[in-house]
Amino acid sequence: MGGHDAGTQHQFTGFAKYFNAFTITGRRNCVLATYASIVAIGLFFKLKPKKQAAIKE
Amino acid sequence: MVLTLILGLFDQFFSPYFLGVPLLAIAIAAPWVLFPKPSNRVINGRSLVAQNSFVLNFAKQILLPLNVGAHKWALLLTVLMVNLITLNLLGLLPYTFTPTTQLPLNMGFAIPLWLATVVIGLRNQPTIALGHLLPEGTPAPLIPVLIIIETISLFVRPFALGVRLTANLAAGHLLIQLLSSATLFLIDQMWPVAILTGLVMALLTLLELAVAAIQAYVFVLLLSLYLQENT
Repeated sequence: MGGHDAGTQHQFTGFAKYFNAFTITGRRNCVLATYASIVAIGLFFKLKPKKQAAIKE
Repeated sequence: MVLTLILGLFDQFFSPYFLGVPLLAIAIAAPWVLFPKPSNRVINGRSLVAQNSFVLNFAKQILLPLNVGAHKWALLLTVLMVNLITLNLLGLLPYTFTPTTQLPLNMGFAIPLWLATVVIGLRNQPTIALGHLLPEGTPAPLIPVLIIIETISLFVRPFALGVRLTANLAAGHLLIQLLSSATLFLIDQMWPVAILTGLVMALLTLLELAVAAIQAYVFVLLLSLYLQENT
């Protein structure tokens, strides 16, 4: 079946080895990282302590 | 006069009798005779040969781009195609209800089958299934945006499948009803215009025949494409 990149012709190093838009594992890692970021941002805003307004006399 | 009007509203739903024969019986039995029973004869009749030829050629065509692992869907896809094309074409007969104009039915087809393709992909080859959410060669700044867009597009697929079929068929039937009402009304008022609207209705009916078959094919084809992505 066509469309799946074996990634043999791409020689990435460092960060790009795991997160790139060319190899199938790179694309998968980008997707998972994006989902994790969205969940993290959502959790951050949900769990952030709400500031109570100071009572003025 | 009011009572006559009220009673007259429901007359169209009474199945007619012709020469004492209740046509309802024939209407119910008609789809049954459209599909001849498979036989073990070497040389079959024309209708059975035509049916077999259609089913086999369709199955061959739809399975061409699919992996061997997806071939277990052959029966389901073929049955779905025969079912949809039958419902669509029979619905074009006068006074025949078309089930595929109802959104719940089409969503009942679309959602479970789409979900099955997604679950198969995530279960058997999760890396490839997740990797499909990012088009190959995307520039780095666009990666998060495109992933979000592709995810939304993935979840919109079943609704697109169901609504496409519903809208195409419902709109076609509505147009036929409007044109036929207009033709009947105009026959007394302006008969040349009635001929024109009648002609447009005839052409529209031909178009609806094509749309009925094409929409059934598109539904099954898209489903096979989603399956191809995930197997």
